[in-house]
Amino acid sequence: APAIKGDFAPKAGRRVVVVGGGWGGATAAKYVRLADPSIEVVLLEPNKQFVSCPFSNLVLSGVRSIDGLTFGYGGLRNHGVRIYHESASAIEPDTGRVRVGDGYLQYDRLIVSPGVEFQWEQVDGLAAAQDRVLHAWKAGPQTVELARQLAAIPDGGVFVLTVPPVAYRCPPGPYERACQVAFYLKTHKPKSKLIVLDANQNVVSKAALFRAAWKDYPNLEYRASNKVVKVDPSVREVTTDLGDRVKYDVVNLIPPQRAGTIAAQADLVGADKRWCEVNHLTYESVKHKNVHVVGDSTIGLPVPKSGNIANAMGKICAVAVVHLLNGKEPPAMAPGNTCYSWVNDREAIAVVNAYKIEGGKVVQIEQKLTPGQSAQWAQNADGWARSIWQDILG
Amino acid sequence: GAGPLDAPGASKALACSACHGLGGQSPSNTMPIIAGIAPWYFKKAIEDYAAGRRPSPEMEPYAKYVREAGIDDLAAYFASQSRQPTAVKVDAGAVERGRVASQQCVVCHVESGKGDPAKGIPDLRGQPPGYLANQMLLFKADQRSPGDPTLKALKELMKSVPDDQIADLAAYYSSLR
Ligand SMILES: Cc1cc2nc3c(=O)[nH]c(=O)nc-3n(C[C@H](O)[C@H](O)[C@H](O)COP(=O)(O)OP(=O)(O)OC[C@H]3O[C@@H](n4cnc5c(N)ncnc54)[C@H](O)[C@@H]3O)c2cc1C
Ligand code: HEC
Ligand code: HEC
Repeated sequence: APAIKGDFAPKAGRRVVVVGGGWGGATAAKYVRLADPSIEVVLLEPNKQFVSCPFSNLVLSGVRSIDGLTFGYGGLRNHGVRIYHESASAIEPDTGRVRVGDGYLQYDRLIVSPGVEFQWEQVDGLAAAQDRVLHAWKAGPQTVELARQLAAIPDGGVFVLTVPPVAYRCPPGPYERACQVAFYLKTHKPKSKLIVLDANQNVVSKAALFRAAWKDYPNLEYRASNKVVKVDPSVREVTTDLGDRVKYDVVNLIPPQRAGTIAAQADLVGADKRWCEVNHLTYESVKHKNVHVVGDSTIGLPVPKSGNIANAMGKICAVAVVHLLNGKEPPAMAPGNTCYSWVNDREAIAVVNAYKIEGGKVVQIEQKLTPGQSAQWAQNADGWARSIWQDILG
Repeated sequence: GAGPLDAPGASKALACSACHGLGGQSPSNTMPIIAGIAPWYFKKAIEDYAAGRRPSPEMEPYAKYVREAGIDDLAAYFASQSRQPTAVKVDAGAVERGRVASQQCVVCHVESGKGDPAKGIPDLRGQPPGYLANQMLLFKADQRSPGDPTLKALKELMKSVPDDQIADLAAYYSSLR
């Protein structure tokens, strides 16, 4: 591995640096190369493998394995993307540099897609609890560990799942997880129970479809407007803002979220100190020139924080960046979104959003839901996953 | 120079690759390949989806997106992509049984399977078998373009085709090049 000191990869021609090789960043890196192979692309991503959050709820119920959701970055290298498995430690928009440890890289344009960071401080006791309280909201070792804890729950035990206040990554994700946990318990631990403590007033996404699916799960107790403010792993108990204390055998606490730390440090977040506002056509930050932000870290567009949207933003941003580097006006391109959610081991539901560009802004054309749950949508979900994983990494 | 994404339809089509694959070359068994699709059939399918005549929760919103973005650009873009047959494997026995059963289809889909634009018959060759079988089941249950009088003969025929033969026909048409 090259030493990370000084300018550790001096720039010869035009260069785009991408921070984060997840759904948004990996897509952007690939598509800059596809759109103009004369532009060098350097990707910074600490993880050697990509683990898909979509479908990771199925690992909890044992319907899928984590291996089937884990991919290498070889496809991106084949497109000529230079990858350093390192974290960016700072961004210097004034000098056009990204800091990595003791070294730096120079860029002409920077694309930042660091996903979300957790607001540990929002829940009393959470920071100190460390690995004793799992989020499993970034697919990987925590997903596997939570699946293990679920499998080890005593029959008759209580699993508590907590949903953070909006805005958080993947609006339907916690409710899909509730389905998978309830499905597992119903099948393997029939005396056990799932309690969902939701900080929001109602199911945030696909509410009617999820509530219909839950009719199959009498073991699922849903409590709206129950924001968890405290966790104490020594007595296995969470406390809500209403003062209710709830005992658990296994807890899955999904913490409140904000943009990835690097975005906050680089002064890309807005007045809310949580999310990054961007131009709807180019994804350039409204705060710093030549720095673009895509994926879950963004706000202000009428789109959910989904992998499908991060992928769409990555493509649109890549095409825009290539146009800008070639002195051309970027085309107006709107993203699209589809979120499938599995409600058991063989059926899914979906929400689909189409958008257009109007007056320089992303505007929704239509949102459509599946008429119910079925194996057909689950098969389509599988088709979607295969296509989009290839679109990101292939 | 002109990059591969410079054609007017290419950037607009990036919204489709999440399901249909880059250039419409779907890698899965469920999503149809739309690379190389004939413009007349592309436009008919999009208009049917947008109007809700061919019900699909995925395609109704995306069809409206296509209308907004420019249906001619997108039709021209996908037509210009060379179609690679699906990589999904089919069973040789099923293909042979399907070949025999396909005698009931050739009057419309013709011997080669490439269809007939003049009669509004699409090309079935090389599509994923799962997609083909599913569409036949939708015809059989009158769920694709329900009540459409122009598809009456096709649906009457499908009702007489047993489900296991549908799988064989799907394997056969998927295997055609
Ligand atoms: C359980 C679950 C289920 C989901 N299901 C779906 C679904 O079915 N469909 C759907 O569309 N979406 C789904 N999502 C949402 C989807 O996973 C996210 O929206 C998507 O990952 C966002 O992409 P991103 O690029 O913003 O972030 P990520 O994909 O998280 O990528 C961020 C990357 O940046 C890297 N990084 C962070 N900081 C730095 C740094 N300083 N330097 C270098 N690299 C850095 C990280 O290591 C990470 O790899 C789900 C999410 C969860 C948790
Ligand atoms: C979220 C998934 C998804 C996305 C994104 C998507 N499609 Fe589709 N598409 C489907 C599915 C599923 C079908 C089959 C639907 C049915 O049963 O009729 C389909 C069918 C089609 C067909 C009909 C093919 C045939 O042989 O009859 C066309 C044409 C098409 N899509 C074009 C597009 C275009 C153009 C876009 C982008 C603007 C797009 N699709 C985006 C899922 C998607
Ligand atoms: C009477 C004419 C006719 C006959 C006979 C016929 N088809 Fe078709 N088929 C059509 C037409 C027309 C369409 C296009 C429908 C539309 O426009 O939505 C079609 C569409 C299809 C499709 C969907 C293709 C796609 O891309 O979505 C499949 C699959 C199919 N036919 C299979 C068959 C099989 C198998 C048989 C024989 C068992 C058969 N058809 C017999 C007229 C026919």
